[in-house]
Amino acid sequence: MRRELRDESMNRREFLLRTAKAGAGVAATCFLAYWLYDGTPPGPLQEQDELVMLPDFSMPGLGPKMSIVTGGDRIQTVNRALKAIGGIEAFIKPGDRVLLKVNAAFATPPILSATTNPQLAAEVAHLCFKAGAASVVVTDNPINDPESCFNLTGIAEAARSVGARVFLPTEDSFEPTTVKDATLIRGWPLLYSPFVGINKVIGIAPVKDHHRSGASMTMKNWYGLLGGRRNIFHQDIHNAIKELAMMVTPTLVILDATTAMMTNGPTGGSLADLKRTNTMIASTDQVAADAFGATLLGKTVAQLPYISKAEASGVGTADYASLNPIRESTG
Amino acid sequence: MVSQPTKCETSIGFGILLVLAGIVIGVFLKQSHYNPAVLVRGALEAGIRAAPKADLSEEFLIEVAAGMVPMNPPEIFGPENLSDKINGRAELYLSAGFLRLLCQRFAEANDPSSWMEVFIYDMGIIRRAFAVYSVQRRPDAEKATFTEFAYRTENALFFLHGRYYVELIAAVTTQRMAEAMQVFAHTFIGKTEVQGGDIEELALFPREGLNEEGITFLISNAFGFDRFDNVFMADYALGNTQLTAFLSIRENPSEASELVAAYHGFLLANGGVNVESDIGVPGAKVVKILDSFEVVFSQGKFLAGIHAAQDRGQAEKHAIRLMQKLSGASG
Repeated sequence: MRRELRDESMNRREFLLRTAKAGAGVAATCFLAYWLYDGTPPGPLQEQDELVMLPDFSMPGLGPKMSIVTGGDRIQTVNRALKAIGGIEAFIKPGDRVLLKVNAAFATPPILSATTNPQLAAEVAHLCFKAGAASVVVTDNPINDPESCFNLTGIAEAARSVGARVFLPTEDSFEPTTVKDATLIRGWPLLYSPFVGINKVIGIAPVKDHHRSGASMTMKNWYGLLGGRRNIFHQDIHNAIKELAMMVTPTLVILDATTAMMTNGPTGGSLADLKRTNTMIASTDQVAADAFGATLLGKTVAQLPYISKAEASGVGTADYASLNPIRESTG
Repeated sequence: MVSQPTKCETSIGFGILLVLAGIVIGVFLKQSHYNPAVLVRGALEAGIRAAPKADLSEEFLIEVAAGMVPMNPPEIFGPENLSDKINGRAELYLSAGFLRLLCQRFAEANDPSSWMEVFIYDMGIIRRAFAVYSVQRRPDAEKATFTEFAYRTENALFFLHGRYYVELIAAVTTQRMAEAMQVFAHTFIGKTEVQGGDIEELALFPREGLNEEGITFLISNAFGFDRFDNVFMADYALGNTQLTAFLSIRENPSEASELVAAYHGFLLANGGVNVESDIGVPGAKVVKILDSFEVVFSQGKFLAGIHAAQDRGQAEKHAIRLMQKLSGASG
């Protein structure tokens, strides 16, 4: 009889009661999960007013300019390329404080062309001083040890020889930044100290193959302004480069394709990876510069998605021909 | 007396069972759609467990480079920080199962500007070392004969020694430095004991027209097809035609034949057109795509074929040669 009663209550009231309790438990769990769920992506670590942002370093009212100069002597070609777009004086005014962002990523010798050519960096610094710059600082946050990189690439000695200051990053050189409308570079450490007081920025980059992104040119060059575990950006490299281009609006970029690294980039290692392409590009539009540089690597814009992405973000134009680049040769 | 459950209880019971079944199906489907990179990594990790422990000490390089002056302490990088040394090229090594990099710079005692950097990549097993060696091989380099897989360029020496892939990269192109690199390589090989182990696939390619230095081992994503992993490719010059033969040893014949069908489908989905052909290879598929011809077939547990042949006749003839060679190998 007792068994029958227990079975009877289980079959009806108790069963329904327990079902209702279980349902309420599930509902409560779902509600709790929903309440705890944060649908917004991880935001910057700092409050907005603690973040730094790089200002626009471009020359107002100058419009996009580009020159493409062929020749085997970097000193001659860079001078001609700058002259073709109005001369360095169009960009650097007396009293300006200039930052040259070189590619000193690796502790490799200049002959490998994995880094900015030291003579080219020195010549651009020299031209800035000649135009009246009050100071020129040369910097990068290399992949390897900064001091070794700047010394072995020859950039430190070359820059100092013309009076430029070499800024080697330390741990306290970085401040968090968030790029407007970016999804990757948010609250990320930016090599900021050398930018303090700077009002002109020139990027100087070699043309290189890159195992991950397809190419490393002027836009990828800004990668050296990031700190932290930036290699995670290689997982979404094209969007990362696009955001780097959004992060920096330079006064000018100089793309050195005197020797291009055609294979095994970005480090190379053998002279067999290099090809004499004898070209120097100066441009106020980094997207256009890279779009032209791609042709020297035998690649199309479609093969380097970051170029189109940067263009779509309004950084510049991939249709470099639309800028009517001035083409010259140093013979 | 035990009463029968009501319809309501039965329905709820079925509902719960259906939900559980749905979860099981969901888990099953999710597990059957792994990212190929995860599978490759898993296979590589299995290989790593089987690989002997790395035995190169930090002092080892100084010992090998006797007579040269170390410029910096030895550096060691693992999978977690390899990109700190070689940036974007790290992906190539990581996808091939990289274990450890030992590197150091050495200068000539009487000329500090004459220096080289030694990179010793421990890839765990010879097949993976061959993968990174073969993919980066400079096509016009001079073959070096001091070991089976070695070549030199104007400023560098690259070779394979068992599980180790070694790069010696110099900052200068002098004869003295070339000799120093050669001495280093000989000493390294003499002092470093490695387990034997042939790469059996290398002998399976027909010799006629084969470019011996043009055999490449791709760990994953061969020909842009994400299911083609562990594929050996060999370049051929046959008459006026160039083509690439490929082969891969699969787990069993059914996997090989299933991959044939999958690759055939991949080619057709990307604009390929079936070509009627009877080359006497059971199950072989011939596809014309982008003005070149692809042949794919299986022979036992071998997946094999011809890639990017300009001449259909040569592609078919060479497929037969390859099939005959594999037929002998598979018994």
